[in-house]
Amino acid sequence: MNAAQGPRAAYFAFDRFPSSKGSAVHIAQMADELFTWAGGGLLGVLGGGLPRYQREGTREIVRFDAPIPNLIDRAEAYSAWVAGLLETRLETLEVCHVRDPWSALPVVTATGRRYRVVYEVNGLPSIEMAHTWPWAAPETLAKIGELERFCLARADAVVVPSRVIGDAVRGLGVPGERVRLVPNGADVRDRPRRPDDAPGEYLVYVGALQPWQGLDVLLRAFARLADLPELRLVICSSVPERRARQVRRLAERLGVAERVDWRFTLPHHEVAAWLAHAAVSVAPLTGCARNLDQGCAPLKVLESMAAGVPVVASDLPAVRELMADGEHGRLVPADRPAELARSVRILLEYPEEAAAMGRRARAHIAGGLTWAHSRAALRAVYRALTPSAALSRADR
Amino acid sequence: MDAARHDGQGGAMTPCDVTTGFFVLGRCGRPAVTGCPQCGRPVCGEHAAPQGGHCPECLAALGHGSRDPHDPSWVAGYRRRHYERTSETYNDTTWYSSFDAYDRGAFEPGSGYTYDEGDFGSDGTGFVDS
Repeated sequence: MNAAQGPRAAYFAFDRFPSSKGSAVHIAQMADELFTWAGGGLLGVLGGGLPRYQREGTREIVRFDAPIPNLIDRAEAYSAWVAGLLETRLETLEVCHVRDPWSALPVVTATGRRYRVVYEVNGLPSIEMAHTWPWAAPETLAKIGELERFCLARADAVVVPSRVIGDAVRGLGVPGERVRLVPNGADVRDRPRRPDDAPGEYLVYVGALQPWQGLDVLLRAFARLADLPELRLVICSSVPERRARQVRRLAERLGVAERVDWRFTLPHHEVAAWLAHAAVSVAPLTGCARNLDQGCAPLKVLESMAAGVPVVASDLPAVRELMADGEHGRLVPADRPAELARSVRILLEYPEEAAAMGRRARAHIAGGLTWAHSRAALRAVYRALTPSAALSRADR
Repeated sequence: MDAARHDGQGGAMTPCDVTTGFFVLGRCGRPAVTGCPQCGRPVCGEHAAPQGGHCPECLAALGHGSRDPHDPSWVAGYRRRHYERTSETYNDTTWYSSFDAYDRGAFEPGSGYTYDEGDFGSDGTGFVDS
């Protein structure tokens, strides 16, 4: 691509990028694959403190940062912003990749579009927002669901990271042949150095702190391991400290606050070091609609496996796609602190078996769940959508 | 077609339901003489189209709106075209405008979980972190 010519590909996400969240890792991988394949492109994301415009070689990054407090007002303004970006690039765009309905709406409705639309569904706001916005009425969420169906019906391909989400999307009426599975991945790297301030033996939790993550279940389980005074719980939170208030209060009430170490918004490589030296990594996802009906593809599970750490995770269909019970770690019933504590205790008492699980998990990732695998699957989607010569030239 | 017709001398009157006014909107309120065959609402003799008895909005939607600003029925067509044009920015004719104040009210900052603005918070909580 050169500047005068305009981009052939664009990626839009109603999401701050870069950030310390798992979503940012995902955006980086997917957008990088798109731009590598198309020989450059336009990335439209949320900013807020980040530069509004950046040009990195053949890649343009533009950020929306209007400080609009109301979420729907903000989403509406963002959609209009995306529409404006598209207007001047309609001639050259061949593929538009979107990550949410707010980005998808202007992309699928642009008048005279010739590009193909790839809609990546990592979650459905109509389900997920019931958890995060408790005052949203069912009718309101139904309207958002309607928007999702509207956009999904007009996308040329729908990319999902797990079969559970694929089923949810098919349930919304998307024909099966348009739904393509592109699993999330993790990179298998050399074992990083142990963090200087790491305690002797610790459990690790990595991720955000929303209610569906099950931190409360983990803390209750940890309270049941009080007879192991040396054992600590390290929580690497991807969100800032002030969002941890409620979880911290619960830890105090349960009497475990003194044994919990908090780390906030660490860069990805530091999180990898905390993961690699943990005794057990815990993914206590709850059995709520967000995790069961909508589905998820937890990066924390994949990254723990790639680090060679045994995982104790909730036994949800979406998690079962990634790991096997007894093979790569333990799957326990969701929302059961006693079961979670027992599985952790067993792994701690049989360190050799636990280490073997960690090794098998690492091999499992290396064998088919790396980002290279994901990106190859995504590239196949692009290739199938645009057999045009123009893009094939850039397709090395 | 045969909407309730009352002249105020006996029985209840069915008022004309057509929106009137330009800056301040209200209902016409004159006694209705017919029902719009498209949307079914009561329309008075002033507002019913000579042929067919459509209300002004439906008439404008059918493409028969007046282009003459001195014609009283011009307002309905103008209003309709205004809504179409302003929502056309990204061809969203219905969606965001379908969100009323009640829908939006649930998404004010502070309406989410106290420690989490949801997945769309402006300060680093992106959409869908698994």
